[in-house]
Formats: sequence, structure tokens, C-alpha cells
Amino acid sequence: MNVKPVSRARETLDALLANRLAVAGLMVLAVLVFVGIFGVRIAPYEINEINIAERLQPPSGTHWFGTDDLGRDVFSRVVVAARVSLQVGFIAVGFALFLGVPIGLVAGYYRGWIDAVLMRTMDVLFSFPAILLAIAILAVLGPGIGNAMIAIGLVYTPIFARITRGSVLVAAEEVYVRAARSLGARDGRIIFRHILPNVMAPIIVQTTLSLAFAILSEAALSFLGLGVQPPNPAWVRMLSDGRNFVSQAPWMGIFPGVAILVTVMAFNFVGDGLRDALDPKQKSVIESRGRSV
Amino acid sequence: MNDPVLRVEDLTVRFGTKRGVAEVVNGISYELYPGETLAIVGESGSGKSVGVLALLGLLKQPPASVSGSIRYRDRELLSMSPKEWRGVRGRGMAMIFQDPMTSLNPVKTVGFQLTEPMEQHLGLSGKNARTRAIELLELVGIPAPESRLKSYPHQLSGGMRQRVMIAMGLSCDPDVLIADEATTALDVTTQAQIIELVGQLQERIGMAVIWITHDLGVVAGIADRVHVMYGGRFMEQAPVDGIYASPWHPYTRGLLGSIPMPGSDRPERLVTIPGIPPDPVAMPAGCPFAPRCPRADDSDCLRTVPTMTAMGDGHAAACHHPHEVDA
Repeated sequence: MNVKPVSRARETLDALLANRLAVAGLMVLAVLVFVGIFGVRIAPYEINEINIAERLQPPSGTHWFGTDDLGRDVFSRVVVAARVSLQVGFIAVGFALFLGVPIGLVAGYYRGWIDAVLMRTMDVLFSFPAILLAIAILAVLGPGIGNAMIAIGLVYTPIFARITRGSVLVAAEEVYVRAARSLGARDGRIIFRHILPNVMAPIIVQTTLSLAFAILSEAALSFLGLGVQPPNPAWVRMLSDGRNFVSQAPWMGIFPGVAILVTVMAFNFVGDGLRDALDPKQKSVIESRGRSV
Repeated sequence: MNDPVLRVEDLTVRFGTKRGVAEVVNGISYELYPGETLAIVGESGSGKSVGVLALLGLLKQPPASVSGSIRYRDRELLSMSPKEWRGVRGRGMAMIFQDPMTSLNPVKTVGFQLTEPMEQHLGLSGKNARTRAIELLELVGIPAPESRLKSYPHQLSGGMRQRVMIAMGLSCDPDVLIADEATTALDVTTQAQIIELVGQLQERIGMAVIWITHDLGVVAGIADRVHVMYGGRFMEQAPVDGIYASPWHPYTRGLLGSIPMPGSDRPERLVTIPGIPPDPVAMPAGCPFAPRCPRADDSDCLRTVPTMTAMGDGHAAACHHPHEVDA
């Protein structure tokens, strides 16, 4: 009779923890966040300390990831740069969330002309190739890491608006929404307290996956010199500096490259895991499709 | 009797569709007195649900257009601002819906959903709202109400959920409770329990109930008066005994003939009404039931809409050729 109530969040967490890749991703992310917060203290060397005598050293006991063409410690720079990448990811995606989700909620709930205006605007943003749009926005705002976050955020806004609107269209027709209204609930209350919690699943999944893409976008922008400015360390800048020394000192590029790869994969694993955990139906569809092929 | 709590006059609901204007509710009028149970009976598509959704202002306009008059305690709802009308929903009139599986928000606890209208209408919050929520759950017969506040809808059975819905409906002491097919999705035993519960609550609280159903069998035990609806119009209205003892309208006869009644002297085979309900976009010019009616003739029935004619004892029918008062 007295079943202990199990919340949906708890069930989702259990399902997520049963997924090995997702757990691996979560562990990597935990390490990354730790490194991001304490990076400067973990780094054994001053990141901008130039030491020509020890330039282009291969990985060793003293320099775990070797040194670059100016004799700077690659390990220290990789560790410190973690913060920038994570920051860009979280802030840019956060920006997209706070802009895109309300747009989707309003458009999907009220429909009509307001829906048309908002979603056509989103379509216009969406019709540009992402990187091109980001470059265009940066051309207006000027290069720099802060502007890069805004640009990436704007590029990802339509995705969140669309995903939210699609789910709201379904949720708004549910009987419980009508029931809430029949009991006198206001529109704002219905939208944020009844509909939003019911459309969170796809938004959460998209957020995790977008984090990976945002980090890659920032990498692309920084590679083009529009994001992180020297001498601040960023993985992709180190990668691009390393290009000139591929044959002499491949470690200059390999380690920051691996860092990007690991981070993006970790976000993807967690995102996939969340999707399966939040939507068991979708999972079974994918599985059955896999079998039939 | 005292003043009606709800007076509906000539209520008409039309929907603009791609094929044309659909006349879903066509000039229905009725009064509802405090403490009384009114049953509105009709088959799917007769407009009975739309008729009550209009009472609460839950139809999206457009595509719907609502006209006529809905007076709740001498206040005209149709001329109210959206904000004023919202104040009536839940407080003055509350509604419970057909499918308890979908009418509770799956990601919110019972406690959240139960206290929400109290917060809105009564300004109750925190502990006070919680106490009242527990009282309400007790009132609707849910065991261990305190622990149930933390439950999610999927952890409750259908009957339990419908009880929670009723508790939500009652949370702000409405004058009118509208039950839209509230027992249709439940099994027969639970159905009987819910019907009994609403009856008991009605006696205790003194609210009026509008019971929307397609099931004349359900109506017999609970209603004071019955309105039979077809094609967006009332066909017959009578005190509940009158409907069963002497149905005048051929449609009511057809409905009654389609219910199995153990121990009756009627033939074994149940009667069906041939044909399908009229298309709301292309309503017949005359009586909406004429195309399916065994008593229809070519003269009046197909040309003019019959008016509701009183025949004594609060019994009235809208028919050109009603059955004789023969019982």
C-alpha cells in the first residue's frame, strides 16, 4: 500500500547511471570541471613563462606533455585552458537556452501571429550556416571571447526555440493543461509550471549535446583568430600553433587536440545517455531499428 | 425554489472550419439550482462537452465563437474580461474531465496540483494549503492522504486519480461542479464508487452538479433532471423519472432501447438507431434527428426545427410527432 514515491528525476538518474558510456562521460566531465576550477593551482608551471633553453622538449618527467616552441609547459597550458573551453560552452549554451526556450514556449502556447513572427525570425537565423553566422556576428561585435560566446549563443538559439515549440504544441493540448485552466490558472503559470516541466526532457538532451558543439564552434572561431586572443591559452590555439611543428614536436598539437576530443565526446556520451534515460520509447525505437538493419 | 446559480440562455457555439461553419451547440437554454444534479445526455458529437467548455470559457476563440447568455449568480460571464472569468473558474465552477490518466500533470506531485488552485483563489500557501489538501483527500476517500501528497499521478490507480481530480475541483468550494464523462474511463465498480462519492459530497457541500454523459444508465441513479442532447440541441428535458417512465421524443426512446435492462419485459434484442449523427457543418434544415427518426414525415420534420414544448410536470420535448403520453 505505502509505496515510497519515486520522483521522475530519481528514475532518470538511475537509468542514466545504468549506462556505462554516460557514466564514463560524467566522470570525465567531473574531472574537467575540477580542472577548470582549480586549473591554475594544478598547473606545475607558469603558463606564459618563456624558456627558450627548454623549447620543443618531448614529454618527460619534468614536462609531462612536453614544451612548445617558446619553451612553455604544454601540460600547464592544457590544464589552464580547460576553464575557457568549459566557460564558453556553458555561457554560450546558457545564452541560447534563456533566449530560445521562452521564445519556443510563447510561440507554441499562443500560436497565431506571434508564433509566425517569432519562428520566422528563428528560421532566418537558422538558414545561415552556423559558423558563417557566428563570423558575421563577430564581424559586427568585434573579436574576443565574450563576443564569441554571444555569437555562438545566438547561433544556437533557433535550435532551442524549435525544439521547445514542438514539444509545447503537443503539451498544450494535453488534458491536464485544460484542467489547470478550468481551475483558474493564469497563462504564465500554465506555461512555466505545467508545460515547461513536461517539455524539459528534449531541452536537457539538446543542452548537453549543444555544449559539445558550442565548444567545437568556439574552437573553430578561435582557430580563425576570432575567439580567445593570445597569449591566453586555448586548446585550439595551441593546436593551430602546433601545426608548424607537426614533424618536430607533434605533442604540441596532440595533447590539446586530445583534450578537445575527450571533452566533446564526454558531453556527447552524457547527452545520449540522458536522451535514452528520459525517453525510453525513443531508445527502443533505435534498438529495434538497429536490429532490423 | 431559490434563484438559479447558473442560467444559460440560447447558448450557441460555432466553429470556423475549412469546410464551413460548424454549428456544434445550437441555442440551448437551461437553469441550474443550488444542490441540484442536472444530467446532459447525448452521444459522441452531440455538442454536450463543447456546451460545458463554453461555460468555463475554455474554448479558444477563434476558431470558436460563443453567443447567447451565461449568467452565473446574476453575472454575465460572456461579457466578463478574461481576468474576471478566470476568477470564476475553479472558484465558482470547477470541472472534472473524462480521462483521469491524462488530466493530471504527470511531472507534478498530487500535493502541488491540489494546492495550486487554493493558492490562486484563496491565497492559501504552505502549511495551510497542505492541511486543506489533506482534508480534501480524506474527503474524497483516499487512504493515507499525507503520504499521497508526495505521490506522482502514475503511482495512483485510475479511480484514485479521479478522486484526486475531484478533490482538485472541490478545493475552492465551487457552487457548480461539472463532470464531463467523469466515469466513462473507469471500470464499473470504480464508476459506481465515484458516482456515489460525488453524490455524498454534493449533499455535504450543497453544490450543484452538471453531469455530462452518454450513458443513460449512469444518469438514472444520480440526476434530478435530465436533458437529452442531439445535434447541438436539446431534444427532451424532464425530471429523471419522467425520462424513463414516459420518454416522448423518439430519440430518447432510441437511446433507452439501446441499454440492456435486466428483468424488463422488452424483447431480448437491443435496438440500435440507424444512421449517424448529423454533420455539424451541414445541419439538416429541420429537426436534426429527422433523417434517422422512425416517426419523421416529409412535411414538418425535414423543414422546420421543432421548438421545445412543455407537456406538464417539468417535462418538455422538441418534436413534431412526440410519442403519446402512454407510459
